Amino acid sequence: MKSLAAREKLEQDVLKGLRRPGKWYLLGLACCALLFLGALGLWGYQLSRGLGVTGLMHPVGWGVYITNFVFWVGIAHSGTLISAVLFLFRARFRSSFNRAAEAMTIFALMVAGLFPLIHLGRVWIFYYLFPYPSQRTLWPNFRSPLVWDVFAISTYMIVSLVFFYLGTLPDLAIARRRLSGIRARIYSVLSLGWTGSHGQWKQYGRLYLFLAAFATPLVASVHSIVSWDFAVSILPGWHTTIFAPYFVAGAILSGTAMVIILVVPLRRALQLQPYISIDHFEAIAKILLLTSLIVSYAYLVEYGLAFYGHNQFEMELFRYRALGHYRALFWLMIVCNSLVPLTLFIRRLRRNLAYLFAVSLLVTLGMWVERFVLIVTSLAHDFDPYAWGTYTPSWVEIGITCGSFGLFFMLFLIFVKTVPVLSMSELKERL
Amino acid sequence: MARTYRYAEQEEFMDKLRELLQSGVGKEQLQLYTPYHLPEVEQLLALPPGRLRLFPLIGGLGGFFGGLALTVYTALSWPLITGGKPIVSLPPFLIIAYLLTILFGSLASFAGFLLLARLPELDNLLDPGEFSNYFIIVVAGERP
Repeated sequence: MKSLAAREKLEQDVLKGLRRPGKWYLLGLACCALLFLGALGLWGYQLSRGLGVTGLMHPVGWGVYITNFVFWVGIAHSGTLISAVLFLFRARFRSSFNRAAEAMTIFALMVAGLFPLIHLGRVWIFYYLFPYPSQRTLWPNFRSPLVWDVFAISTYMIVSLVFFYLGTLPDLAIARRRLSGIRARIYSVLSLGWTGSHGQWKQYGRLYLFLAAFATPLVASVHSIVSWDFAVSILPGWHTTIFAPYFVAGAILSGTAMVIILVVPLRRALQLQPYISIDHFEAIAKILLLTSLIVSYAYLVEYGLAFYGHNQFEMELFRYRALGHYRALFWLMIVCNSLVPLTLFIRRLRRNLAYLFAVSLLVTLGMWVERFVLIVTSLAHDFDPYAWGTYTPSWVEIGITCGSFGLFFMLFLIFVKTVPVLSMSELKERL
Repeated sequence: MARTYRYAEQEEFMDKLRELLQSGVGKEQLQLYTPYHLPEVEQLLALPPGRLRLFPLIGGLGGFFGGLALTVYTALSWPLITGGKPIVSLPPFLIIAYLLTILFGSLASFAGFLLLARLPELDNLLDPGEFSNYFIIVVAGERP
């Protein structure tokens, strides 16, 4: 029975999140803000001193910054998978996660978009990458994968923002009714005068479907395009056709892990247990397990291709990855991304939130390390032994990386206090 | 003059709506408010598919051909060979065209939504009327 009392209670429970923040929340927010401010300071230091303050040096010109870019774009993917793909497949458990996952997509993309800029020596001319009629009558080179990236990430960001905003419209109208004072006015303006008339719902339903249909191919294409940054080069370890699906599966694996990392504490802090059940977590854990299996299969295929192809450069590179300077990271990646998730075949563990949270932390670590191993080993160990070298990130790069996590969690904490964290109008259908 | 029916439960609301339609009330007389999306209402009122679908079509096609035009025009305006590739290299240009299809298709859909749903309601932006938890039927032309 979709009773009135249940709907009222849902609104009260979800909007509790918008109350005045407690001391733990403020402490968390302050820590994240400090990390972010520290990173901004380090970026300023790098701008004043030049890229020499990083560990980037011949032959490794792409290091932690590009690793972070690929990692954060990957994190973004699961949000779209949950909000768009699961909507088209009518997976009902999505409404427990979709708002947090969509917010995660936007924040991860904001963080990801910073890294190509941080990686630039002269960031003040980054706008050269956009197509605009300049005085020099020069246009970007559309044959370059770096320009594809600019279009892919910008499109993904804008479509995700529109999708997120559309989903929040009815909930902002509920917040408008339930809150008072200046906040009610702000939510009133943001909800655009939504009244829930059948004319509005009709257009809303249609638009949601169209946007889901537009966003679904982006799940596959954005990280494919990011993978082509590497795959269209001729470097051993990068120049491979499997890169696109391999990157997409890895993106969904890391993004799903991040959703679990965000939603487990959120559910506890806001006491949302009646709306986000263990069954819903189990469903998300199955996505984690499936994508881990796909990623593990891709690891095997990569090695299979290298050795079956019998190309000496490919064979040497793959030997180096497993046994060379970065072998500890390689095996950490295998343990975190391929072995640990296998334990989720056990139903009891899939339903244990503390365990699921721990596995997700390990997968997130493993996926960051995977990006690092993929990027750095191929550059460090290419065709010519005279050009071989190693790379160690400097304290500036490590600090900026920590700051990116600070920025991401800071944005998420602000989201928790400003936007209803669950899609109330969708959950009401389920009550 | 208008009469308002207010229900706490979806089933009661749907029953009343069916009853009103069977009693000859025209769908143009009805104004319905629900706390969540009810596709059954659209079926019951036999609403036409609407014009929103034209917006993604026009936006998507505009994005696709605009993307192709942008890439081909800019490549030809400074025909510099890079990487030994043809000046007009369709495979990479199709990536840009595809991304702009999605971008403009989505933005046009959203613009169409705002237009057809008549949002934002600028006159009533700060006091738009209640979006409540009740299912409400307003019948125009009936005694309150």
